[in-house]
Amino acid sequence: MRRRDALRTLTASAVALASSRLWIHLLAEQDWAPAILTAAQNDQVVALTEAIIPATGTPGAKGALVNRFIDHALADAGEAQRRAFLDGLAWLTDHSRAEFGTDFATSAAAQQAALLTRIDDDGPVADADRPGADFFHALKGMTISGYYSTEIGLRQELGDDGRMVLAEFEGCTHPEHQG
Amino acid sequence: MTMQIISPAKVYPVIVIGSGASGGMAAWNLTRQGIEVVLLDAGEKFDRATYWTHVTPWEARERRGRGERAPQFFLDTRESPYATPTGRPFELTRVWGHGGKTNVWGRVSLRLSDVNLKEPARDGWEIPWPIAYADIAPYYDRVDQLIGVCGGDDDSDILPGSRFHLPPPAPRCAERLIQKGAKTLDIPFVPTRRANRTRSVRGSIPCHYCGNCGAGCDVAAFFCSADHLLPEALATKKLEIRSNAVVSRIITDASGLATAVQYFDRRTGAERQVRGKVVVVGASCVDSTRILLNSTSRTHPNGLGNGSDVIGRYLCEQIRFHANGYLPALAGGPTRNDRGIGGEHLYMPRFNHRPGHTRDYLRGFGAQMWNTGASSGGAHGGSEKIPGFGIGLKQEIKRRHPAWFEIHPYGEVLPYADNRITVDAAKLDRFGVPTIRIDYRVRENERKMTEHMADTVEEIVKAAGGVFVNYNRGDLDGNGTAIHEHGTCRMGDDPKRSALTAFNRMHEVRNVYVVDGSAFPTATEKNPTLTILALAWRATDHLAAELKKGTL
Repeated sequence: MRRRDALRTLTASAVALASSRLWIHLLAEQDWAPAILTAAQNDQVVALTEAIIPATGTPGAKGALVNRFIDHALADAGEAQRRAFLDGLAWLTDHSRAEFGTDFATSAAAQQAALLTRIDDDGPVADADRPGADFFHALKGMTISGYYSTEIGLRQELGDDGRMVLAEFEGCTHPEHQG
Repeated sequence: MTMQIISPAKVYPVIVIGSGASGGMAAWNLTRQGIEVVLLDAGEKFDRATYWTHVTPWEARERRGRGERAPQFFLDTRESPYATPTGRPFELTRVWGHGGKTNVWGRVSLRLSDVNLKEPARDGWEIPWPIAYADIAPYYDRVDQLIGVCGGDDDSDILPGSRFHLPPPAPRCAERLIQKGAKTLDIPFVPTRRANRTRSVRGSIPCHYCGNCGAGCDVAAFFCSADHLLPEALATKKLEIRSNAVVSRIITDASGLATAVQYFDRRTGAERQVRGKVVVVGASCVDSTRILLNSTSRTHPNGLGNGSDVIGRYLCEQIRFHANGYLPALAGGPTRNDRGIGGEHLYMPRFNHRPGHTRDYLRGFGAQMWNTGASSGGAHGGSEKIPGFGIGLKQEIKRRHPAWFEIHPYGEVLPYADNRITVDAAKLDRFGVPTIRIDYRVRENERKMTEHMADTVEEIVKAAGGVFVNYNRGDLDGNGTAIHEHGTCRMGDDPKRSALTAFNRMHEVRNVYVVDGSAFPTATEKNPTLTILALAWRATDHLAAELKKGTL
């Protein structure tokens, strides 16, 4: 399986995993330890997810423990997908060390932003940066799926009222959108 | 296969295979008329007490902590494998268990009209339907009242028969905007017709608008065969249900009539048989086809009732794609509770047959729009396409949250003789039964229709002021994903070109009826369950009359 295909299927299965809600129990574990990631890799993932969805008036990906979702998604994925993700993470770690002399998690916010801007595939990406860009694209999808399926993401950040028992469904009440 | 078969003595009046929309309806309609039925289902009863219906994502955490697990409705393909040609996958979705796919179905309940039913006779593609709307209409009326269908009162040539609808749910703002945009193009969006009980039906609990129907309904507020047909059938004391009974073959006598059904216990693998005077097959299109093709004998060398060689051929479902985006006019507004009845509240009926529209292909398409409005599905499905990262990304996701739309057009795939299910005697399942191979592809007619579907969606979105976020023109969803398989055991007037009569009875085997989606000569652009229910009711009325006449 090609790297990009592996990462694409990993993102898609993460979306399904978020919808299935089967990872939420991980948030309640007091002594959680990653099943797939090493402690050092987990630190990088925490920093990366927080760079994608940072804390604002509401907690970001770090506060919502999205790293646990990603570790769970990796445990749930096939070997090719896992390998593609960890290779991508290694690419990013190597480039962090080479360019900033330190891991991504311990580099300055401006350095993090510069590296991520370079591999954010919404803009032009140099051929040499393609492995990083493919990884970042997958990680972004997984981070969004993870974050917006938590109480923090859906309720606190997006304002979902969480009500699942209504006597009637009101629908659209905007006068300008009727008829 | 060599095996020693010990024939049990009891002969049931009717054996029904499958307990979903078709088999459940058959069992319900026969038992209430006093006819004893033994029902074989490949799975067990799902326990509504265990469903995760009215559970927010964040409450699910506590449930997991208590050791609860959501029920697993869908069959793992490894348990019943099938083959496809290299590079041509077919994604088959099956539920083995009481109620079948009606436990988790999309609930879209659209009547076929004469636009659909008379079209093959007009355009000459393959065989005509042997029935018209007038033949099914009385049964549609009964089904609507029995199962509870919400919808509008806006009947048209393509969507008839609203007399018994429950009130439809109000549209969401994003749906209103799409509807208003489409109206400027003379393309109607009408209240959807779905089997959600927006009002109580014979004492049932009405819909709570949790929007989580896909997890199964723990209060049985939408039609499910296991909740609304099987209990009433059991109450007659005329129904025996055998669970975990994976049917392999229908057994015939020297004259070619069905005498028994062979099945395997899903848990132990033990081979069993049950004898009956009549067999009603409702295992869903693909599994019924597997059973019929595996039921070979000296009188039926090509599969049961398959002298015409049409069984397994003409597999047809629908092409679809998913066009996602957002409506800037709603962006930045407050987040509303848009859960509703879990899926769209407005539907775009087919329009391409009407005056003023041209097409260079046969048949047509309609469109659904689930995940439209403030939906977590929208947040997942579209947000990753928003450029950038960091605070700007987070703000933009929040801004767009109330404004998502998704348009999902469904287009009819024509029946083609070599879109085909076959059985492979060289590849046996764990019971030693030949597995199936599905060879299916879409062709020029579907490619032309896809272009029109794309043009239509693009025009509507433009007129509604929408912006595409996740849309690649021409990217079709995988074959099989519409989960509306038809055509492989079709009804027709000509026994040389069809397997079943207009009453779903086999031309060649008078004591076998096939009552699921495989009986449809065409797929149409519509969701089939309502029609499956109506035709299964009609077919088993016919069966009951034949039994009374003593002709079986």
